[in-house]
Amino acid sequence: MSASEPPVNSPDLRRLDPVLAPGHTYASVTDKIAAVVLTRPLGIGWLAGFTVAFGVVMVLFASLAWLIIKGVGIWGINVPIGWGFAIVNFVWWIGIGHAGTLISAILFLLNQKWRTSINRFAEAMTLFAVACAGIFPLIHTGRPWMAFYMFPYPSTMGVWPQFRSPLIWDVFAVSTYGTVSLLFWFVGLLPDLATLRDRAKTRTQQVIYGALSLGWRNSAHHWHRYQSAYLLLAGLATPLVLSVHTVVSFDFSVAIVPGWHTTIFPPYFVAGAIYSGFAMVLTLAIPLRKVYGLEDFITMRHLENMAKVMLATGLIVAYGYFVEFFMAFYSGNKFDVFLATQRLHGPYSHFYFALILCNILTPQLLWFEKVRRNVVALFLMSLVINTGMWLERFVIVVISLTRDFMPSAWGRYSATFWDYSTFVGTLGLFVMLIFLFVRGLPAIAISEMRELVAHQSNGKKENE
Amino acid sequence: MEQRSQLYGVMGEFDTPEQIMAAARKTHEAGYKRVTAYTPFPIEGLAEAIGFKWTAVPLLTMIGGLGGGLTGFAMQYWMMAVSYPLNIGGRPLNSWPAFIPVTFELTILGAASFAVFGMLALNKLPEPYHPVFNVDRFAHASTDKFFLCIEARDPKFNLAETARFLRGLNAQHVSEVKDE
Amino acid sequence: MEKLTSPYKWGMVIDLDRCTGCGACVVACQAENNIPVVGKDQVMRGREMHWIRVDRYYHAESATNDASTYSPSLDNPETFFQPVPCMQCENAPCEQVCPVDATVHSAEGLNDMVYNRCIGTRYCSNNCPYKVRRFNFLRFQDWDTPQLKLMRNPEVTVRSRGVMEKCTYCVQRINNVRIDAEKQNRPIRDAEIVTACESACPSEAIVFGNANDPSSRVAKLKAQQRNYSILAEINARPRTTYLAAVRNPNAELEKA
Repeated sequence: MSASEPPVNSPDLRRLDPVLAPGHTYASVTDKIAAVVLTRPLGIGWLAGFTVAFGVVMVLFASLAWLIIKGVGIWGINVPIGWGFAIVNFVWWIGIGHAGTLISAILFLLNQKWRTSINRFAEAMTLFAVACAGIFPLIHTGRPWMAFYMFPYPSTMGVWPQFRSPLIWDVFAVSTYGTVSLLFWFVGLLPDLATLRDRAKTRTQQVIYGALSLGWRNSAHHWHRYQSAYLLLAGLATPLVLSVHTVVSFDFSVAIVPGWHTTIFPPYFVAGAIYSGFAMVLTLAIPLRKVYGLEDFITMRHLENMAKVMLATGLIVAYGYFVEFFMAFYSGNKFDVFLATQRLHGPYSHFYFALILCNILTPQLLWFEKVRRNVVALFLMSLVINTGMWLERFVIVVISLTRDFMPSAWGRYSATFWDYSTFVGTLGLFVMLIFLFVRGLPAIAISEMRELVAHQSNGKKENE
Repeated sequence: MEQRSQLYGVMGEFDTPEQIMAAARKTHEAGYKRVTAYTPFPIEGLAEAIGFKWTAVPLLTMIGGLGGGLTGFAMQYWMMAVSYPLNIGGRPLNSWPAFIPVTFELTILGAASFAVFGMLALNKLPEPYHPVFNVDRFAHASTDKFFLCIEARDPKFNLAETARFLRGLNAQHVSEVKDE
Repeated sequence: MEKLTSPYKWGMVIDLDRCTGCGACVVACQAENNIPVVGKDQVMRGREMHWIRVDRYYHAESATNDASTYSPSLDNPETFFQPVPCMQCENAPCEQVCPVDATVHSAEGLNDMVYNRCIGTRYCSNNCPYKVRRFNFLRFQDWDTPQLKLMRNPEVTVRSRGVMEKCTYCVQRINNVRIDAEKQNRPIRDAEIVTACESACPSEAIVFGNANDPSSRVAKLKAQQRNYSILAEINARPRTTYLAAVRNPNAELEKA
């Protein structure tokens, strides 16, 4: 630090939060990140956490087994509420996944350097969230063993899937999203897998990382094609992430159900997905940087930026809520007006008010710099926001179905033990996969961090 | 079978991106054509400096995307309007607005798969063995050092002269790369 | 591409003036179509399986009973009954959202439910504005008791767990009559097909027939001024329509 820079605690310096703490070299960033995978012993914390998560995954398996044995009736669904927790959870998990792709792809296109230390585990989060999400459309069907009917294969009946149905659009959208996210993540991992191969401490590590890295040798020619492919993937993943949650929102907006049939859903869902996704990235980033000592790489700048993105998307979601009400009343359609008032006065109105509290009111605290820079507050805020986003999907899916067109067909939804156990089970699956990821693969993109070091030292040279 | 160790090339090690860029330019100016560089992260302009011209990855991506999209739409049209047309709520058989989401997704899937697998194929990966891995120092290529390798196949290659040339570019270590 | 057409356009008219809310149609439908009895617990959870239900609407003009005038009150309301089977909509909202072509439209206007194709996503039930679709959330049928096998109608599929079902306009009866008519090389006559609910109704409120035939009872009833379809603004174009109830009580009668 030269004499012209302001002293450590001044407000001017806070605005200059570095993307990478000063003093790192190519070797030091590589050492720090690779050590978590290659040399750090499995601590009691990791073992305890993994064991608990694994136990919860067993609960998931038991819930799924009982579901297949008995049928979808073990859940709380009925007629008229044909979709309950399963679809709420599906939309919630898919939404969470979107932040990873946004960070990887959209922030890359916008040349935002602060994406570098968070994009790897955010993308991993996306893949695990999509895995958890994908369980639900499969198991919520009455006959999941025939779910392959949704794929276009030449069947003995001669029929094909019905492509006008949003559920088929979902099949293609979510499959594409999972595949492209996996490809994007793997391409990003290639150079880091090579790094781990070259620094492997045991033969097993060498063989596994060697196989996975496909013989990557960091050749400049390869890098050139790699950069080209990476840029194209980022450019493709951007419309993809926007389209996937749009297609998920079509499950609702294409139906005629009052409260579902509204054109605000595609942008509202996409903004909500980014909102909950960034909240989950924070939920993961904050413990990760603390436990593995990665504060130099995931700095206050990252946390604050993520908080700002959450605030912005939260405001868009709030706008979405407002438009729903406005359009219901402006249309004068008695069913839509009724549904809007039901959210405020009906039997499930307490969920709606909890939703407003979690998603609109509480995040307004993020306007304050003190809150954005308080790590504990951010962590709690991220949990509150994800709770709110779950409630939002519950309000949309369930409340609209309880009271639609014909009063004689109105009903009530009451979740059963198996509804909860399946949901909690997927949380356990997600946590277990994150635990495995953090120890098996580099949680931060090493080669991209080296680029940051180069960028930083270039910047220093310019200042001198 | 004869196990003769052949010479693949000569490799010099550098410390910073600026050094290897300068070295690369000088090497190209000196007339060496078969040059490869190895860096722990991509360096802008380095591949061009050692003679890389053009990559087919964007073209492959576009082909994949168009192929995916056309396949997607043709599939839906054929399945819904030709192969087994059904009256679904009175909707038109060629419900092209309803066919858009799947067409779009398959376009992206086609483009992304062609981009990734095309890139891997053009890079000739997976390639588990390569002579440069025989140099012990080369492990640093994936951490913090930059390598410039002039291959023995190059018409101007002469072991002693090329090694001297690399030392003249201030390479830290100059090693022979053997193909074993 | 061959377009399937048929001279028959099946439709149903239910006269709400005649309906007394007795529920015989519900029982007949259950017997005819092998509809399972799900038990009190499942009914409490909202999973009753009756393909036709009878809705009740109460009309009250005041809160309490005023003996001096004929005026329905909350203590003594006027009641209207409306049996609701599947509307067999021409623009069926359920058909559009099924991902696997398990519910499709026949050339004769029936919304066909294809049990063996249904994977049970329940999107069709969500999208049905009339909520006439029923889902087998569990294995509601009793496969085991031998006597129950004798009870079942062999002409109707017995549905297992995980498939959607609904009123089919007694398609098995339609097909039986069609087969007979084809064998005898003649068209199907009016009143030849009698659906289960139609046959059980004591006041003959339900009428089924070929709406394409202007001389059929159904076509004549549909041409009446009282004829309307429910939730018409959704434009689902239901084939099951109703004749509005008209009440015109003699004021002298009530004062006694």
